[in-house]
Amino acid sequence: MRNSLRGKVAIVGVGQSPTGRVPGRSPLDLTAEATLNALADANMQKSEIDGVLTGNAFASSFHRFSVALSEYLNIQPSYSNTLQVSGATAGAAVNTAAAAIHAGLADTVLVACGDSLLTGMTPDMAIRAMTESRDQQYEMPFGIPVANTFAMTAHRHMKQYGTTSEQMAKVAVTFREHASRTPGAQKTELITVDDVMNSKMVTSPYHKLDCSLISDGAAALILTSAERALDYTDTPIYILGGGEYYSHEHIFLMPDLTQTGAVQSAQKAYDMAGISASDLDVAGIYDCFTGTVLMMLEDLGFCKKGESGSFVEDGQITYGGKIPTNTHGGMLSYAHPGIPAAWFHFIEVVRQLRGSCGERQVDNAELGIVHTLGAGFSTQATTILGAGSTR
Amino acid sequence: MSEAIKNVLTKPLPTPDGDSQALWDGLKNGKLLLQHCDDCGHVQYYQQGMCRLCQSTKLRHQAASGKGTIYSYSVVYRAPGPAFKDDVPYAVLLVQLEEGPRMISSLVGKNFDALDFDVAVRLTTAAISDEISLPYFELVD
Ligand SMILES: [Zn+2]
Repeated sequence: MRNSLRGKVAIVGVGQSPTGRVPGRSPLDLTAEATLNALADANMQKSEIDGVLTGNAFASSFHRFSVALSEYLNIQPSYSNTLQVSGATAGAAVNTAAAAIHAGLADTVLVACGDSLLTGMTPDMAIRAMTESRDQQYEMPFGIPVANTFAMTAHRHMKQYGTTSEQMAKVAVTFREHASRTPGAQKTELITVDDVMNSKMVTSPYHKLDCSLISDGAAALILTSAERALDYTDTPIYILGGGEYYSHEHIFLMPDLTQTGAVQSAQKAYDMAGISASDLDVAGIYDCFTGTVLMMLEDLGFCKKGESGSFVEDGQITYGGKIPTNTHGGMLSYAHPGIPAAWFHFIEVVRQLRGSCGERQVDNAELGIVHTLGAGFSTQATTILGAGSTR
Repeated sequence: MSEAIKNVLTKPLPTPDGDSQALWDGLKNGKLLLQHCDDCGHVQYYQQGMCRLCQSTKLRHQAASGKGTIYSYSVVYRAPGPAFKDDVPYAVLLVQLEEGPRMISSLVGKNFDALDFDVAVRLTTAAISDEISLPYFELVD
C-alpha cells in the first residue's frame, strides 16, 4: 500500500466527561472536560495540540464546532475541521487525524465530540433532529425516522436468512451484562431475552430494548506521531489501518439491504494493517440497534453471511468467545449521546489494548477493531488498533 | 408560534427543486414519473439532472406502471415527532417497482397482518397540499 500510515501514529491519551444524565452542562463544556481528562491521561499540555477534529452537537450546534471548541479552551490549532458522516464520524475523524499527522499537517491532534441529547434539548428539538436527518422530498414525508431505515435492513435479514428477534435480543442482553461491570454505565441492571421481546415495539422488528439509549456525554482522544508517542505514555496504542466506504445516501438506493459497505471499509483497513478478522482480539462495533451488530459481525468477517444470529447465541461476542465486543456496554447500555457515542468504543478498545480494564479485561488483547457507521448503513469507517507488540 | 415549533408540529412538506419539479407535477396528476436514459437504458428514481449511471442528460420521463412488490417494511409504533402521532401505527414500505428502481413510501390502511415480503402492491396518490401529492401504495387483493 502506497505510503501507508500503518504504525506511524498512536493514540496517547483518552478522556471523557460524566455520561448518562448530566444536566446543566453544554456540549462544549462536556467536550472541554473530556479534552482536559485526555490531556491529563497523556501527561500533555494543551499548548501541544496543533490539530482539532470534532463532530457537531445537536443540542447547541456550531457551524464550526472544532473552532468553537478551540476558542473555549483557548488554543489556536493550525489544523481543524468539523466532520459529518453521521455515526461513522468517530472512525472517520480518527482515520483523518492519523492521515493528517502522517502527512505532516499536524503533530498532535485532538479528536473530540460531545452532546447533551438527553437533558440539553427540549423534546421538540430532539424530535426535529431525529426526523430531519432523512431526505426532505423522498423519505421524510412518509414519517421515516432513521431507526426505520435500520429496521428495514434487519427485517430483510430475517426474511433472507431466518434470523430471529430472539437472536437480536441476545445482543442487547450481552452488552447489558458487559455494562454491569463498567463504572459510569447508564444501564447496569441485567436483562433477559424475554425482557427485550416484551419491551414496547418501536418500529418493527425493533423493540425499545433493541434500540440504543439517549444520553449526555463527551469523549476525547489525543493522537500523535509514533516518534513522539513514547514521550507521553508507556502504552501508546498504534493506528495500524483505516478504511471507509460510502455506498449510498438514500435507503432505497442501498444496493443490498443485508450486505453493507462495511465489507469494503473493513477490507481496506485489514489490508493496510496486514491482518484478517480472525487475528483480532477485541472489537468495538457501532450498536445503534441490535440487528446492526449482527450484520456487522458478518460484514467485518467474524462469521459467514446469515450466521450472525447463532454466532451471538453461541456466546461468541463475549468473554471466551471469538471476538469480545463492546466490553463497556456500547450504545445499547453504556451511553448514546448521538455522534459522540462511538468515541466510547474507541476509548474502550484503547483501554483493552493497554491492559487497563480490570475485571473487564480481555485476556492478551493486542489487536483491536473499531467499526463505526451511520445513516442507514450509508457511512462506514473502520480503524485497526494495536498494542506496541503489533507494530 | 416559533418557526421551529411549527415545523415540528406539521408534517414535512417536500419543496420541489430544479431536479424534481417534473416528478411532483406528475404526482399531482396521479402519475409517478421515472427517468429513462436514452443512452444507457437505465431507469431511475429519484429525479436528477443527469443519468446516475452514465451521466447522460438524455432522460425521458415516463409514468411507472404503478405495480410493485414489498422489498422490506417496518411498522412504526413510536411516532417520529408530534406530526405523526395521530397516524401510528403505520407501515413504511420499501417498494420494488416493476421497472427496477426502489422507493420509500407508506401503506394505505392498517392491514398489517397481510403485509409480507415480496407481496404485490399498487400505486395510489393523495394530495397533502395544493401543490404536493404523495405516492402511496396499497395491497393488491
Ligand atoms: Zn445512462
